[in-house]
Amino acid sequence: MRGIIFSILGGAFITLQGVANAQISQQLGTWQAATLTQFTGFLMALMILLIVRDGNRQGFKQIKPLYLMSGSFAAIIIYSEVTAIHQIGITFTISALLIAQLCLTFLIDTQGWFDVPKRKMNLPQFIGIAMMVAGVVILKF
Amino acid sequence: MILGIMLALIAGSLVSLQNIFNSKVNEYTGSWSTTTLVLGMGFVASFVIGLMVEGTQLFALQNLQVWHMLSGLTGVGVVICLVQGMKRLNPTYSIAIVLTSQLVTALMWDSFGWLGVEKIPFTLNKLLGVIVIVGGILVFKFGESKQRSVSSSK
Repeated sequence: MRGIIFSILGGAFITLQGVANAQISQQLGTWQAATLTQFTGFLMALMILLIVRDGNRQGFKQIKPLYLMSGSFAAIIIYSEVTAIHQIGITFTISALLIAQLCLTFLIDTQGWFDVPKRKMNLPQFIGIAMMVAGVVILKF
Repeated sequence: MILGIMLALIAGSLVSLQNIFNSKVNEYTGSWSTTTLVLGMGFVASFVIGLMVEGTQLFALQNLQVWHMLSGLTGVGVVICLVQGMKRLNPTYSIAIVLTSQLVTALMWDSFGWLGVEKIPFTLNKLLGVIVIVGGILVFKFGESKQRSVSSSK
């Protein structure tokens, strides 16, 4: 039960993050909003890290630089999401975003890119993607 | 509208890549080391691009309000909830619930106009659209081949 509640809250936080960035960007500017929220989030995470001290620092040396850099994508993610929310609303933005996210993740899984264990493409995935796209079309009419 | 859709698709693709790369980092370190690194990188990238695009305007924060500073905490909330959710549930269930919750929250936000968001009137079509998308997510996630959803518990 607690797992379900955490998962529901996690999803709500992800949406809240996009909405909060969109609102802040109207008052401060989009890059200001991105810089500020990433900075305060970083400080908070750093504080928690200093308290819990999880993981080993040596581990970082074994990781490819590309993977270590992936946090920087957030700049473009925030800019794109905020601009999309202003243009087409929250529901439509999140729907399109999730479809792209699931499709690319699935493509990477089936091709085994980035050393991800390969996974087979099944019929349910095609049906699922078709339903998601159909849902977005329904949203718009 | 096309621009909005394109941007949302770009954001979604990058989120997908970021999730995959972050889980690689997570394998070698821990979830708070990963989160700190990810948000730190995000800050540096936003700061550098912001400086190039806006120049010193980046520091013009006359309209700054206290809650703006708190918004960064949502990123921390996301990590806590996702890690705890995954720990307690089968990852497939947890991800399906997270995605569903994202969409339902989005629909509620548009409909109620919370936080001063421009209200987009709720219609039955919107509800039906979200239900069909959620149905698609469930079919997609629960139809995945078993061998990997068991072996990787991220």
